[in-house]
Parts: sequence; C-alpha cells; structure tokens
Amino acid sequence: MDLGPFEADNTVSCRLSSQIPDICRTEDCCLGIDEAGRGPVLGPMVYGICFCPVSKKQELKDLKVADSKTLTEEERERLFHNLDEAKSYVGWALHVLSPNTISTSMLQRTKYNLNALSHDTAIGLIQYALDSGVQLKEIYVDTVGPAEKYEEKLSQRFPGIEVTVRPKADSLFPVVSAASICAKVARDRVVKGWKFAEDLGDVDADYGSGYPNDPKTKAWLLKYLDPVFGYPQFVRFSWSTAQTLLDSKAVTVHWDDDEEDGEKAAKRLNNKSMLSFFSASARSDDQSRQTHRFFTDRRLRGLSSL
Amino acid sequence: MTTKKKRTPNTERSGWVVIAPDSVTDKNKHGSDPVFLRLRNPSTDGASLYLLGSGDERLYEVKAFEEEFHSWFVGEAVQRDGRLVFVTPMDPLFLILPYLMKSGREGKFQPVDQVVKDEDFPGCSRLLSCSCSFLHIAEEKEVGGLKFHRYSQEKTMNWLKKKVERTAAALKTKNVSVGEGVKSTTYIRIKSESEGREEDYLRYAHGLISEYISEELSKALLKHLGLPELTSPKEAEPPAKKRKLSDKPVEAGEDYTKFNSADFARKPPKKMTAAQKTLAKVDKSGMKSMTSFFSPKSK
Repeated sequence: MDLGPFEADNTVSCRLSSQIPDICRTEDCCLGIDEAGRGPVLGPMVYGICFCPVSKKQELKDLKVADSKTLTEEERERLFHNLDEAKSYVGWALHVLSPNTISTSMLQRTKYNLNALSHDTAIGLIQYALDSGVQLKEIYVDTVGPAEKYEEKLSQRFPGIEVTVRPKADSLFPVVSAASICAKVARDRVVKGWKFAEDLGDVDADYGSGYPNDPKTKAWLLKYLDPVFGYPQFVRFSWSTAQTLLDSKAVTVHWDDDEEDGEKAAKRLNNKSMLSFFSASARSDDQSRQTHRFFTDRRLRGLSSL
Repeated sequence: MTTKKKRTPNTERSGWVVIAPDSVTDKNKHGSDPVFLRLRNPSTDGASLYLLGSGDERLYEVKAFEEEFHSWFVGEAVQRDGRLVFVTPMDPLFLILPYLMKSGREGKFQPVDQVVKDEDFPGCSRLLSCSCSFLHIAEEKEVGGLKFHRYSQEKTMNWLKKKVERTAAALKTKNVSVGEGVKSTTYIRIKSESEGREEDYLRYAHGLISEYISEELSKALLKHLGLPELTSPKEAEPPAKKRKLSDKPVEAGEDYTKFNSADFARKPPKKMTAAQKTLAKVDKSGMKSMTSFFSPKSK
C-alpha cells in the first residue's frame, strides 16, 4: 500500500486504490464498505471498499479475513498482505479523510456533520468502483446511523444494485471484513508516521490510540495546546475533547456566527426594548448629529485617541 | 514558529495598523517629526485626532475602519483589535473656520494668530503653519506689513460650494452609489442605478462636507446650493389604515346584491351593551387615540 499521495499533503483528503482486477469488469461483483478511525480525536478517518466477483466469495472467506477489531495489528498486516496476494480477483480503494477536512467540514458556517460526511464518502467510493468498470451487483455496508434510512438512501442512489446495510456487517460478510482491514491498516500506518505540517520541533509521538478516553492522548493534547492556534492539524478541532480544552486553556476567539443569547445580542445590536415605544419619554431624539452614511457604510469612524 | 515554551509571554501590545501617505514622513525639509494632535472637531465640537506631517506643513485626519470580529496577525504576534487606521490629507481651513467665525461676530479685522486660540486644545495654533489661504473664508487687510482678517460668510459659502461640487465630481468618478435605497449592514452599495441624478450627487456630497462643518453652516450651505431641505417622510402623519369613501354600504353591480343591500339599509342602529354605553359617556377630550401610539413620533 503506497501512502505517498496522502503523505505528500495530509491537510486534504486523498484516494488510494489498488489495480482493478480484470475479472471484476466482466463478472458480477459484490462490494463491502467499512471505515476506520471514526471515534478518535487524532488523525484521519479512513473509508475503505473491497470488491470481488460474487463467484469468488468463498475464496475470500478462505483468506480468513475477519472483523478488524478482533485482530492484532500484526494479524491485520498479514491479512492485508494476503489480500494483496489475491489481487487477481480482489480490488480495494480507500478514501482518507484528513483530520483537517473533518474539522473544517464540521465547523464551517453551514454545518456538515460526520454522518453526512461518512455517507457521501461511501457513495463517492461506490461511484469510483462503478466508474472504473466494476460490475457491481451487491453492496454490503456497516451502518452509520439508522440502518433502514441508510439502506434506502444508497438503494435510491444506486438503482439496480442490491444494497444491504447491517450493523456489525464487518463480522457478517467477508467482503466487509476485507474492507475494514484495508481501512484499518491504512489508518494505523498514517497515524504512526504522521508528518506534521506545523514546525513543532521534536514532536512527542507518544499520543496513544488517539481516542478521547486514552490518558496518553489527553496528556498529549494538553502538551501541544497553543494558546493562539490551538492544535496542529493532526487534531480534530470539532471533537468536544479538543473544544473543551480550547475553551478552558486557550485564548477566547469570537466568530461572527457564534451563538449569543437573546439579551446579549440585542444589547450589542443596540436594539430597543419593546416597552420603550410605549413610554411617554420615548421622544429622546438623538441629539448628536448622525455620521454620514458614506462613513457608516464603510465602517469608518473618527478617533479621539489612539 | 517556536514552541509554546520558547514564546515570549503575553504582553499587551499597543501597536496600530496604519495606512498613511508617504508625505506624512517626508523629511526632506527641515522640521519636526509628524505628530498626532487632538483638536476641536468642527462638526461635533468635541475632540478628534488629527496628524500634523513633518514640519507642521500638512494636516491629516485620522479615521479608523472598525468592524466586529476582526484581528490582525502582525509578524509573529496577534493584535486583538482588527482596526485599520487611515491617515488622509485634510484642508486645515475646516479646523480654522470655527475660530474665525466666532471672532467674526465682533466684526473686527484681527490677526489670525490671535483668533486661532483654544484653551482646551492648545495645539490648534500649530495649524497656522500649514499652507493654506485664509482668503477663501475671510477678507484681508494689510496695515504696516501686518495682515488682518475678518470672517466672510459669502466667501465661505462660495468656497464650500466649490468643495461640494468637487466632491460630487469625485463621487461620480469613483462610482459611489448616492441614491436612496435599502440600507444593508453587510454590503457597501456600489452604483446600482445607471443614471444617478445630479441632485443626488450634490446632496450626498453636501452630506459628506457637512461632516467637517457645524450644523448651522451645513444648513446655510444647503440653502446656498439651492437644495430644498428634505422633509423626512417619518414626520408626516401616516394615512388612516382604512379609508371610507362614503357612509353607504359598498354595492356590487350585480342585481342580486341589490336585495342584500336594501336589507342592509333597513337595519336599525345596533343596540349598545351597557358597558359600551358607559364607555361612550366617558370624557375623552385630550386623550390620544389608540392608533397614535403606533405611528411614528411627530416632533
């Protein structure tokens, strides 16, 4: 697996893929989708697809691919090697969502949540397989959110393909297990060799699993918190773990789409109370002259001191 | 970038981000450094910040662009306020004018250095070293090599009129939208209507010049320009919500409604309830009608 394209610029997302086996272009195929790194506060989330001819399902099963969570890192590497050996009939593709992409998607003005991001990434990978000429007939997906809704969404998007969305699909269907191994292996390698875009000097690479409840991860997050910039792009800013630390330890930053409670916003915008329109003394016309709109339109005002 | 530990501690920076013409620091000639001065603002009568270029030769006004949620990254530091200060050339006569006007009420010719004096703003005497001609706003007499001046309303009006006309011309070339329109807080209006009317430009320019003169002068200038004062539509009484054309019930042309309307006309006046009767007897003289509370205030 060549991670070069992602490591060249890990601030954006990237697609990695194997060669498409010739047999997949001619025979009906099944495809499995799974992801790795959904929960961690550190590093990318990796989406993987794996596909093979329906007729080769048994052979895939014989490779003894199983749910990646039940395997050790060495076993996963070994199984990925086996999959690579079977490239005459097994193909895979990965979409690496950089932590920066996740942060900026979830924190942008019109929020793009992780489920929507996951669904769109999965759809993108299926489309990639179709565009590459893979004769897809069956799709197996481990669910994100409610299974029925997701299944309906995918069935509508890809008419003519039988879509099966199941929780725990990675332990039920070998093709999903294979996808989960590809995704997991890619994530492990990316996280292990993370190249920081920031100049941090000698970075302490002992950040643990990256999951919010890992004490090592927490310690690392505390150590690398910059009061102004917050974190390196390796950290998902949209995670509440990161946000809580930023709120308490870093400098406060205000954005113009920050939510304010009603009274505070009203005061800032100089809104009048409803009652003021009914009182007798509402006659207080502004005594000072109004600044000309040339200046107010341009947010320019005179100064009395610097 | 250095790591957190190496970084200098958080100190309050008192820098500003300024855009200023090169002439401010032009030190070709002998003279002092440029200096910020607090002087009396001719429009508000309060203090405002100005800048005197090196050698006190030219006057500049100081304005700041300020909008919420802005900050600067300056070199290796963050500056909290995202303010952008503009230093722009200004005609010193605008600042001298109020002093001349004030002494002009006495009707005497006086030397300007005696007139331009202000206890609150002692710096104002430095304005006199700026290059400008009092002839635009005052009459001049020369006695024994000494010059004496007296404020002239007529000259001032002509001078200000020229300023307005020049400003209007500048507004046209800069494509500034001067028409009335919906105010938006997020966008600067650029020229939307293709043919801006001459009067709109003049009025807008008058408004701009008025930022530099007293309210009294601003009104006189408006007259001098031959522009009628705008009566704010707010002050006019709003029309009643429903207009009755006649007391007769509205009739449609169709025949069958005639029957209804005849029926309608025969109806005896509605009986009032006891409560309504008592209410009708109340002395309402001097009381405002309910609707008056919802219309814009008339002055």
